[in-house]
Amino acid sequence: MRFAPSGAGTGLVSLKRLTILMAGWEYPPFHTGGLGVHCYEISRELARLGHRVVFLTPFPGPFADAPGVEFRTLSECLPPGTPIPGAYTPAEIYGPRFLDVVNQYNDWIAHLTDVEDADVVHVHDWFGTVGCRALARRLGIPLVMSVHSTEYDRTLGHPYAPILERERIGIRAADRIIAVSRQLGEQLITLYDAPPPRVRVVYNAVRPVAPELDDGRLRDVVLYLGRLTRMKGPDTFLRAAAVVAPAFPEIRFAVAGEGPEYEHLIALAASLGIGDRVLFFGKVTEAERAALLRDAAVFVLPSVVEPFGIAALEAMAAGVPTIVSKTSGVGEVVRSAFQVDFWDVDEFASRISELLEYPHLSREMGDQARHEATEAGWAERARQTVDVYREAIRARALRR
Amino acid sequence: MKIVFYLHLHQPWRLARFRYLDLGTGKPYFDIDRNLDIFRRIAANCYRPTLDRLEVMLRQDPRFRVSFSITGTFLEQAALAAPDVIERIQRLVETGRVALLSETYYHSLAFLLPPPELEEEVALHQQRMEDLFHVRPHVLRMTELVYDDDLARFAAREGFSGMLAEGWEGPLRGRSPNHVYSSVARGVSVVLRNYRLSDDVGFRFSARGWTEYPLTAEKYALWLSRSPGDVVGLFLDFETFGEHHPASTGILEFLSALPSAVAREPNLEWATVEDAVRVPAAGPFVVPEPMSWADENRDLGAWLGNDMQRSAFDAAKKAGTFARSSHDPEILSDWRKLLTSDHFYYMYVSGKGADADVHRYFSSYSNPYDAYANYMNALNDLRRRSLAKARASH
Repeated sequence: MRFAPSGAGTGLVSLKRLTILMAGWEYPPFHTGGLGVHCYEISRELARLGHRVVFLTPFPGPFADAPGVEFRTLSECLPPGTPIPGAYTPAEIYGPRFLDVVNQYNDWIAHLTDVEDADVVHVHDWFGTVGCRALARRLGIPLVMSVHSTEYDRTLGHPYAPILERERIGIRAADRIIAVSRQLGEQLITLYDAPPPRVRVVYNAVRPVAPELDDGRLRDVVLYLGRLTRMKGPDTFLRAAAVVAPAFPEIRFAVAGEGPEYEHLIALAASLGIGDRVLFFGKVTEAERAALLRDAAVFVLPSVVEPFGIAALEAMAAGVPTIVSKTSGVGEVVRSAFQVDFWDVDEFASRISELLEYPHLSREMGDQARHEATEAGWAERARQTVDVYREAIRARALRR
Repeated sequence: MKIVFYLHLHQPWRLARFRYLDLGTGKPYFDIDRNLDIFRRIAANCYRPTLDRLEVMLRQDPRFRVSFSITGTFLEQAALAAPDVIERIQRLVETGRVALLSETYYHSLAFLLPPPELEEEVALHQQRMEDLFHVRPHVLRMTELVYDDDLARFAAREGFSGMLAEGWEGPLRGRSPNHVYSSVARGVSVVLRNYRLSDDVGFRFSARGWTEYPLTAEKYALWLSRSPGDVVGLFLDFETFGEHHPASTGILEFLSALPSAVAREPNLEWATVEDAVRVPAAGPFVVPEPMSWADENRDLGAWLGNDMQRSAFDAAKKAGTFARSSHDPEILSDWRKLLTSDHFYYMYVSGKGADADVHRYFSSYSNPYDAYANYMNALNDLRRRSLAKARASH
């Protein structure tokens, strides 16, 4: 590894309460993916550690309850009813209007008032990089950037230039860059010329899920849960399902999530001859998601590209034996999941079959997964993030 | 004080990835090339250099003695990957100062299987010792140094005069491990492993944080000579020398320096396991439950501690009935290779601590679930083959 893991040897740290200006675009309930969840959990834990978090978002609120987190929202400055796109909505769907909102967001951040006491600006992904760079410069405080995924990954190598440029601006300007996995950190170094000494890794986390009482309930679902995009590999899931299905007639396959591949996947299931064995749930609520995890015998994350893959960690926390592609960042923090090459349909099919066939295997693996997934919680990740803030502050003080 | 210096040589036949989808396809279970590659690597790091040093030690010091246990699977791999390793061992045995031990041919937990598996495996191994080395061992050691009263009785029935066991506090009840004890079976003595002195070399030799680091042959010989008792058992994996501790740690020089360091202590002498079992017993040694040399608990937990391991072993036991009734030597030999204890060891779910690190070091998989799934697939396939064979012959 060419860069240090976070939280290692921070030495003497000042215990000063920090004021953090955090720009993350999405915040629950206005979220379309892991970014919003991450912002919510990390800001909540930062506040719980005694720091002051001011969250900068375009959405109007009201937001999910997080005691101690303050919100400043762009929507006050927008005409009422202006549509605000979600973080994972492909930019081209919105066209120039999309970038208009982004530009307004950045202008607003750059000129934000009543923030002079802040200690650090923390931007998540590309949305607010231009504004945050200006704000950090104006206030003379460090900029920390978290990268959850890159434009190269989201587009399978066909980046949209305006977004790519905003990513590069953030990575160039940031005093410290937080990647959600080592593999993503490596990518930032090779594809974005991020200086290795500035890159840190802070993994995602999940909340513990109370174990279900063993009510003898049948776990008979093999589950895919995620956005339906090519980068997530849902077609691999269906191809593996088609191999597994004949030998396990009592098993159902579930695809939960929405996205551009939806119709293609329905057609694929039909052409694979498993149209009657696959249930497409579309976008699911929190409650439906929990219900699916309760019924799941196996969780599969077959992503071609996956900077982290928090859905797999959530499934593991619920005690579901999990199979992830080797290209998933989550594989760096867990040992009790099967890891498979993303293209290896037969290996996915074999792993699914093994978990369905051998009850001792799925029980041991599920128990261990539950334990392992929640070993380091969000509080730990927030502490590591604070270590990165303090490092950035120290590094800036030394440069003066 | 007699020093019983005994080294264990073993390699398992590791499985290839045998997928669920591979069932019934005729794909072989064992990855021959990978196993032989591993063997060649260890032969270069450990077997050759260490055997060569032992040969020099035997030549230079007529009092030096050493004992080996060599599994059948080790010899199979050596014959294919590095036959010169067998020739080196033959040269050592010819000196008459190297004793060989009996054990299960497949390094298995055959003592937990219904008869006649244990008898047959020990007989197979005896035969191999006679064929290759022209000796008939009189001392028995069980896989992973497992020992209990039933095994002592088995040893007596099979005509052995001694067995090896871990010098563990429980059955010693305050007595020193540095004696020969009598088992519950008439005519079978028990020679014990002094685990502290053995682990000083086996585990701690290269640990820089150890207060006794670096361990020299002179210091070690002094510890041996000051140890109370009349027989001290230094039982180690052969791979201690050059593999677990790489040559760069100085472990091979330590080994070479041992005979002259021992010679300077007047109360020390070398003995083989066969010399040791003739020493009069200091008292009875009673072990009702199986005891091994592994982990902090010294029980069978390393192989049969969790549900996966127990279910895999049960499945292997059941598959044995099918394998035997197939009367197909290839099926029987595949089944027996699947009995090798290492497969169950790989399924151990490690927590934290010293045992977990040891388990990870010795595992051939990235996690216990890979190990279990793979093993169960192979066993399922074996059962299918056995049934098909049985049906065909009716």
